[in-house]
Amino acid sequence: MINETVQQKLMDYLDGNLSVDERKEAERMLTEDADLRTWFEQLKHVNSSITKSAEWKPSAALRESFEAALQQELKKETKQVFFTPMMYRVAAAVMLLIVAGGIGFWVNNQWQQQREMAELKRQLQETKSMMMAMMNNELSASQRMMGVSVANSLPQADDEITRALFNVLNEDANTNVRLSALEALSKFHADPAVKRKLIQSLAIQKDPSVQIALIQLLVQIKEQSIMPQLKDIIEDDQSIKAVRDEAHTAILKLS
Amino acid sequence: MTDEAIMEAVKNGKLEQAAVLFERYHLRLYNFLARLAMDKEVGEDLTQNVFLRMLKYRHTYKESMRFQSWIYQLARNVFSDHYQSMKRSMNSKTDVERLADFIPDEDSRAEEEREARLHQSLSLLSEEQRELLVLTRFQHMKYEEVAEILNTTVANIKVKVHRAMIKLKEHYFQLEAYD
Repeated sequence: MINETVQQKLMDYLDGNLSVDERKEAERMLTEDADLRTWFEQLKHVNSSITKSAEWKPSAALRESFEAALQQELKKETKQVFFTPMMYRVAAAVMLLIVAGGIGFWVNNQWQQQREMAELKRQLQETKSMMMAMMNNELSASQRMMGVSVANSLPQADDEITRALFNVLNEDANTNVRLSALEALSKFHADPAVKRKLIQSLAIQKDPSVQIALIQLLVQIKEQSIMPQLKDIIEDDQSIKAVRDEAHTAILKLS
Repeated sequence: MTDEAIMEAVKNGKLEQAAVLFERYHLRLYNFLARLAMDKEVGEDLTQNVFLRMLKYRHTYKESMRFQSWIYQLARNVFSDHYQSMKRSMNSKTDVERLADFIPDEDSRAEEEREARLHQSLSLLSEEQRELLVLTRFQHMKYEEVAEILNTTVANIKVKVHRAMIKLKEHYFQLEAYD
């Protein structure tokens, strides 16, 4: 068994890493010890095999795949000229500002619209309440007249308003107030419910001024279904002549 | 132009310069990896991976570091990843099949037989010993260079290389005795 120190020494001798004296000492040991000589010859043989071992050659595929990968990386790099990390950050920041601004504007817009709508709604509700209160003011015809005038200025009316106006038309003690209510309702005659109630009102109206105005309105909108009511008015002994004449004229116009 | 200067240029955007480094190193890295893996085909795949990593991680290269050490460290990492995955999936049968690549045909010349026996002997070494011998004896790297790659001392490398060489000799002549 050769000790490790000697083995290491002979390895150095093989590699030419010994000093002159050390080399002479190694050569002396090899000359004197046959086993050591055999061991060293084997080591030389293996070392020689390694030296003679030919370098392996890779296939052409290695170069091709590297070139392909390099081209791909070069393309990426070209794109990155315009989108360096800093550019990405700036672009992202600008995008964020635009998006945030857009959202903010939209939200603000929505919020403002909602606020305006709420304000309008509130004002409308106030106006409506005031209008209703005025129309119901039994003590003041002028107040009721004003209430109806407000209703007349509305571009459109809901059921509550038309119901209040019909209430005035059919029940109010003052002719002018009732005529004003009719004028306001005439604006909404396109609404079938309003038209139907106007026709019904004709049957119950006893105020000649309102009767005449109502007949004129219904003739104007060519409402032929009022023929029976018109005949009733003509035959009614309570109806004054002017009303009966208006009914006659209406029948002629609608026929 | 030194490898380090070229790699620095690659790092700073002159990617096309990477082709020069491929020319200088692909054969060495291929031989290193193919001998470590004991498989020429795998060696090619691994070498390809090393150059892909070189491109991908070019920003991590430090000019103060010897390029050869850096690229070999990449290669060692590539091999280590491969080895770990192989350990999980490989069985002894494939080991034998891989070694069969180096067993010559009956009519092969003595030279080929010696080459085959050498690689069979290498395959019987530990991964560490095989790596040390490939770097120092096959690729003639200086102990200082190997020490830098493996991040250890020259003295340590020298002792380990000597032991690996002696072990290789033992396997080699044992195999010869069987033939």
